[in-house]
Amino acid sequence: MIRIHHLGFHYREGEFRLTMPEFTVAGSEKVAVIGPSGSGKTTLLNLIAGIITPTEGDVTVADVQVSNLNDRERRDFRITNIGFVFQDFELLDYLNVLDNILHPYRITGALQLDREVRTRAVSLAQEMGIGDKLKRAANDLSHGEKQRAAICRALLPRPKLILADEATGNLDPANKTRILDLLFRSVEDHDATLLAVTHDHELLDRFDRVVDFQDFHGGEAG
Amino acid sequence: MIDSIYIAWKYVGFNKVRTATLVACITLISFLPVSLQLLLEESERQLLSRAVVTPLVIGAKGSSLDLVMNTLYFGDEVPELIDMGASDRIWDTGLAVPIPVYVRFQARGQPIVGTSLDYFDFRGLKIREGRMIALLGECVVGKKVAGRLDLKPGDSLVSSPETLFDLAGVYPLKMKVVGVLEKSHTSDDLAVFVDLKTAWVIQGLGHGHEDVTKTKDTTVILKRTDNNVAASAKLFHYAEITEENLGSFHFHGDLSVYPITAVIAVPHDTKSGTILRGRYLSKEEALQIVKPEEVIDGLLQNIFRIKNVLDAVISVVALATILALILVFALSLRLRQREIQTIFKIGCSRMTIARLLTAEIALILLMGGALCIALVFLVDQFSNDLVRALFIR
Amino acid sequence: MARITNVPGSTFLSGTLLFAVLILFGVPEATWAGDPDDESLTLYAVNYPLKYFAQRIAGGHANLVFPVPADEDPAFWNPDPETIAAFQKADLILLNGAGYARWVDKASLPRSKVLDTSAGFKEQYIKIKGAVTHSHGAEGKHAHEGVAFTTWIDFDLAGRQTRAIWEALSRMRPDLQDELQSNYVVLAKDLKEIDKAIREIVSANPTQPLIGSHPVYDYFARRYGLTMRSVHWEPDEVPSDAQWAELQGILESHLAKWMIWEGRPMQGSVDKLEAAGIKSLVFDPCANVPDQGDFLGIMKQNVENLKKAFP
Repeated sequence: MIRIHHLGFHYREGEFRLTMPEFTVAGSEKVAVIGPSGSGKTTLLNLIAGIITPTEGDVTVADVQVSNLNDRERRDFRITNIGFVFQDFELLDYLNVLDNILHPYRITGALQLDREVRTRAVSLAQEMGIGDKLKRAANDLSHGEKQRAAICRALLPRPKLILADEATGNLDPANKTRILDLLFRSVEDHDATLLAVTHDHELLDRFDRVVDFQDFHGGEAG
Repeated sequence: MIDSIYIAWKYVGFNKVRTATLVACITLISFLPVSLQLLLEESERQLLSRAVVTPLVIGAKGSSLDLVMNTLYFGDEVPELIDMGASDRIWDTGLAVPIPVYVRFQARGQPIVGTSLDYFDFRGLKIREGRMIALLGECVVGKKVAGRLDLKPGDSLVSSPETLFDLAGVYPLKMKVVGVLEKSHTSDDLAVFVDLKTAWVIQGLGHGHEDVTKTKDTTVILKRTDNNVAASAKLFHYAEITEENLGSFHFHGDLSVYPITAVIAVPHDTKSGTILRGRYLSKEEALQIVKPEEVIDGLLQNIFRIKNVLDAVISVVALATILALILVFALSLRLRQREIQTIFKIGCSRMTIARLLTAEIALILLMGGALCIALVFLVDQFSNDLVRALFIR
Repeated sequence: MARITNVPGSTFLSGTLLFAVLILFGVPEATWAGDPDDESLTLYAVNYPLKYFAQRIAGGHANLVFPVPADEDPAFWNPDPETIAAFQKADLILLNGAGYARWVDKASLPRSKVLDTSAGFKEQYIKIKGAVTHSHGAEGKHAHEGVAFTTWIDFDLAGRQTRAIWEALSRMRPDLQDELQSNYVVLAKDLKEIDKAIREIVSANPTQPLIGSHPVYDYFARRYGLTMRSVHWEPDEVPSDAQWAELQGILESHLAKWMIWEGRPMQGSVDKLEAAGIKSLVFDPCANVPDQGDFLGIMKQNVENLKKAFP
């Protein structure tokens, strides 16, 4: 699913540098990425998602060399193939839960919002246990419910890859487990790949593979 | 596009206070100059059109503006009174048709205009319902008066006392409404028209009572001589003119000294008008003759001068408001940076982000515009009354 | 055009043609009695004499309306609002002035259309003697004393009223000036002849005391220098005892031998007067439309009647 080859990246300003000789994630794999803050974990996710492009090397996702696509292609690829789950949920407080879930379909022409999508959104929310809260304001939900709504949003376009950046970071321990269960199940049900940045070490053994980001600065991690 | 509008609509709806504030600002800065212009145009139309068709007005010396306002628009300021002899004088010259007017009294807040029948021909006023005044004590009302006071032919209308405790002066007369005029879109729509003699009855200069020369009730007689009977204050004066007591109504003294507020003079031709004006030029003349068009023109020039100042002030305020609005939008954008980053990450293009924000601005502008149009429409509906309230009364 | 041959129908045809010619170009006096033309003015009058004068002057160019019922005294008639509305719509409203037609003071008439035919001789109005006025309070102004109003039987004043009508009509229809003037001149001459005739008749015995059956002869008496006192008798009523006593009182200092009536008196009244040595003659002021004839005809008859008292 993900293949990174001789990746090098640095911002125009600052001294941050990210190098990654080789990195692969197989399809349907659930990989956790750990590492100290500031090590570039989020940067990695952004490179994989095509939000930023590497200064050198390739990033291939689902057999598409994302790093070689232009801006628009990367955007379209991202929204149709990659789902994001954020630490702070990033729901829009002025939309209700259903509108938040459907939001990706409203902000790009690459996705078509039709009745089938609406139906899927409702059933996805029901699967996540928030089917009865679709008309509520996003702010009225608990943290756990918010993250479930965010997962629905990420999964609705049927992405091949889910990138989760500290998805359980703002949840209490009980919710962490529950959300991770939901995330894993959804990823399995949708036959997607999961790459999750996390600080929650107690959850690491749930993943297929754990990658320590510190290993990348010297060589390949596998 | 629809999606952008949808999301923008949700955003503005969620932030009600912010939206309301922005809409209010936009509404105000667009409504003020437009409504001001509307009112001034209406005032120009109302004031000038009526002034242009009124050739000459004769009244007591003093404020020509008060004279014209009272005579043409039935303003509250009653000019110094003149007497009926002023009208007779014009009649005798043969240069113009004089139309005396007496605009002093009111009935339930509406001005009572005492005049002659020539006034209706002059103003082109037609009866819509009922008939024209024929007898003492009858009145016809303008269309708006009929609507406001819910009057129709056959109803009664009582004149108002001039002051609350004016026990010995103007007293209420119960008038019979015999007709409603067609709408004229002028001040005439707001007036109650009576014959001049009825106005004098309202003032108490004319009255009806039992025949004191034949009465057997001695308590109503103050003094009796061979050729005159002086009645006492006990004598009851009828407060309503009916078919039965009409014959008893009469006036004391010489009618040529009875009061009026002005005379509208309609010269037979331009030359007659000029000659007539010339007859009032001498310093000893107690009356003035004015051309309403000139007086109103002067007033409008003053109004428009003030308007120019107001325009300048409004422009400055509008500029400040626009700058403030820009600042609000900019600050709002900054506050939404995180949201923007999120949707960018999800896959939203910069163009779409710009479209979303533009849609929000457009919605707010539209709402402000719509509210402005609605308010302007309201002002337009009531412009007639507003102009009267602002400039005439 | 086919020749009219001597066949029975031709007489009828020629007669018809002649009749048509007469109708079209007929006798001069018929012109003022003809139908109003298309642009005719509508004139309303408060009494019959004014209607007559106006009709004589305007001829077929005016539609004269005198709405007072035949059995009413125009001076005291009260029109209903509909009739007043009709007055208002007239092109010209002919008022007698001098307080004639009390309803005028209480009605609304457009001044621009009103002609007070006696306004030109206001200073000659005769105040009613013995009238009791009233006032309010010690210093109040008096109500009007009232003036006599049968001005038209002073045929000099009638001429002036006629002139006022002519001038008003000339202003309204300057295109008809010549015709109006011509008609006016003829009418004025007729009135002058009446005036002259009366003066001549009266000159036979100018100081003869006379009784007027009603106080309507003030202007008549003044113009022709008659010594006249009036009572309040109606032609169609026999005088009551009180009325008779009033006459007796007058006769004590005013030895009249003739009573002048407004209309034909009842025989009973005539007989009673004759028994008292007073004869009766009719001088009809003709305020309303006569049963027969017209104003001038009535006045000529009045003149003939007057001769009886001044042999």
